[in-house]
Amino acid sequence: MAKVILTVDDSASVRQMVKFTLADAGYTVIEAVDGKDALSKLTGPVNLVITDLNMPNLDGIGLIRSVRALPAYKGIPIVMLTTESQDARKQEGKAAGATGWIVKPFATQQLLAVVKRVVG
Amino acid sequence: MIDKFKQAFQEEARELLAELESALLELDQKRDDPEVVGRAFRALHTIKGSGAMFGFDDVAGFVHNLETAFDRLRNGELAATADLINLTLAAGDQIKCMLDQADGRATVDQGRSASILAELRQLTGSPDPRPEIVPVEAAAPEVTAGGPAQEWRIRFRPGPDLLLHGTNPLLLLRELRELGQLRIQLDTAAIPPFGELDAERCYLAWDMVLATESAAEAIRDVFIFVEDECELLVERVPDQAAETPAAAEAPAAAETPAAAAPLPRPGVPEGRSGVVSATAPGAASSIRVAADKLDQLVNLVGELVTVQARLSEVAGRRDDADILDISEAVDRLTAALRETSMSIRMLPLKSTFDRFRRLVHDLGIELHKEVDLTLEGADTELDKTVIDQLNDPLVHLIRNSMDHGIETPEARRAAGKRPTGTIHLSARHSGANVLIQVSDDGRGLDAEAIRARAIERGLIDGAARLSEAEIFSLVMTPGFSMAREVTSLSGRGVGMDVVRRSIEGLRGSIDIASKPGAGLTVTLRLPLTLAIIDGLLVRVGDTHFVLPLANSLECVELTRQDILDAHGKHLANVRGELIPYIRLSEYFQMETARPEREQIMVVETELGRYGFVVDQVLGDHQTVIKNLGRLYRNVQVVSGATILGNGTVALIVDPHRLVQNVVETMSQQQRSPGRRARRSHKVDRKGSK
Repeated sequence: MAKVILTVDDSASVRQMVKFTLADAGYTVIEAVDGKDALSKLTGPVNLVITDLNMPNLDGIGLIRSVRALPAYKGIPIVMLTTESQDARKQEGKAAGATGWIVKPFATQQLLAVVKRVVG
Repeated sequence: MIDKFKQAFQEEARELLAELESALLELDQKRDDPEVVGRAFRALHTIKGSGAMFGFDDVAGFVHNLETAFDRLRNGELAATADLINLTLAAGDQIKCMLDQADGRATVDQGRSASILAELRQLTGSPDPRPEIVPVEAAAPEVTAGGPAQEWRIRFRPGPDLLLHGTNPLLLLRELRELGQLRIQLDTAAIPPFGELDAERCYLAWDMVLATESAAEAIRDVFIFVEDECELLVERVPDQAAETPAAAEAPAAAETPAAAAPLPRPGVPEGRSGVVSATAPGAASSIRVAADKLDQLVNLVGELVTVQARLSEVAGRRDDADILDISEAVDRLTAALRETSMSIRMLPLKSTFDRFRRLVHDLGIELHKEVDLTLEGADTELDKTVIDQLNDPLVHLIRNSMDHGIETPEARRAAGKRPTGTIHLSARHSGANVLIQVSDDGRGLDAEAIRARAIERGLIDGAARLSEAEIFSLVMTPGFSMAREVTSLSGRGVGMDVVRRSIEGLRGSIDIASKPGAGLTVTLRLPLTLAIIDGLLVRVGDTHFVLPLANSLECVELTRQDILDAHGKHLANVRGELIPYIRLSEYFQMETARPEREQIMVVETELGRYGFVVDQVLGDHQTVIKNLGRLYRNVQVVSGATILGNGTVALIVDPHRLVQNVVETMSQQQRSPGRRARRSHKVDRKGSK
């Protein structure tokens, strides 16, 4: 059974890239446009959340905290997308419970390597 | 594939730029709103992040500096000044230009980019900001070969919260194993007695020996996500000691991490993983489709509607219950399909309206006028084709209002008005039409001055008697201009007639109402769609006509007796209300015998209720609108034609224009005071809105 990955980003082009890359590698990908949307899509099995940090409504940090508070999802891997200028945000994200991070801009191989590292 | 991403990014970036622009303009109104600053920052942040990802390094580098400035704005280190807002607006245009360049549609003026950045540095007082964009390739961690195989001793003791942070240590071990030959020994010493064991904590540690050609960095890289919450030791095993002491003792037994797997994966309850594809809903709530595919869809639906009309016709003639049944089913489906495909093409006017905020802002600076733009009904939806062609006429109208309508603040004060002028842009539905109004509270039109100017230009005869509305419509005559001097904006006399032509090209009409000193209202009346409408099919003699159903109120009979009762006047008594009517056979000068009983279609027009007398009302008809072609462009009362089921052509009557035309003809012939009163009443009503 294909692993399910939820990609959360307010940028449609990033979502599209993540989706194409991961779908191509055999994962099932669900998209969400911000943290709030992502929480509403955490209904079925999800094996990994990949989230941007800067988003309207509910940002990435808030999403990580909320997911970690959900009994059914508190142990799932969460990977955040950061930029190199956001070191403080990265620390904040780790403190909130992020599993790992990918620094933007990233290439598709990097994305796949990280996904493989955290969900197999 | 990457090209596809690039295009998606470009579309997205354009949307983000529009968002940035609207946030900036809002910021201009409320300088300290952190929510608006946040919106602007996010737009910039996303453009930068995604831009770098898809190879738009120039965009990303440029935006980086703006992003930094807005980050400081967000943190309260900078104030949102008018200069900064205007500069960022200009920068937005420059980014647009960069995107166009990537399409090969424009060339970027590098000097301008540099000068914007220089100005930004000056405004924000920040040190020379360097673009921090790392090319994608450089960021890729390469697993570098570190020469001949080496043995490394690795000790990995994760922090207790490792599992809670979503890390699966087994995957890390598996990744290590991909680097070379791995021997593992599990350290279970820290596992507490069962009663004290917390199933969500990790008590295990691993001692490993890895034989690999990779360098130490590659090994550490495996643990990069967990290195600061674990005890990690990576050291090289001296060459002499080929066998590590620890691993040598129990190599086989240790290599069973599965047995040592502390817990089943928390968070994914067992038995739930079997329904993945069924419960992955909402993966895409919307998709992008090329506009021409939609056009094609609507064309095909149009053809289908025509064929369906033929089917109904044939089925009706055959009188075969089976065929009739099918025909009715097809009829219903076609109607539903038509409605759906038309609704796909409907777009709210919001994006068009929002664009004018920028226009008004920029023109205000250029003309030294203070103007507020208020919007109403931006949610009103219109066919995309209509919206696309509406932009230019609206720009023109707004420019006219800014340039000629709204006075300078000093002049406004002198006239006892608020120094800040208002332009109000509104849209609302009216039957099968959308009414769009551009009104301003500027100086308005002076009917006498226009009349004098028109006489001077030889457009009208000095003796002509014209109603106010007729005088106002003179400003839409080619070559007419009221501007005393030609400004850069308007006043060349090629304005309003172009607006009128493009609106009429959309099968719309345009009305001007004004009160001197109090302002001007231009009303555009546009059809909801250019493709298919619901119509009412009527017959006059052997000829068929279609009236738009949306305006039709009811059908009543008109008998000879009714006509006698009205003493030959074209008035019908419909339940106590006197309705003036127009007989289509007379209007179109058709020589047909008048039947004993005629029917009146009562239609709501903007001039009031009018009746159209026809021989027979046949029923409703899905009407695919076909253009009449260039030859008939000047025919105003007919908005198009449609092909009926039997292949004949029916003209689509525009009730509003027909009534207007009749009223105008009569007022010209008779100059009856009653008609005049009706018309000027209409103008007043509009002017007061």
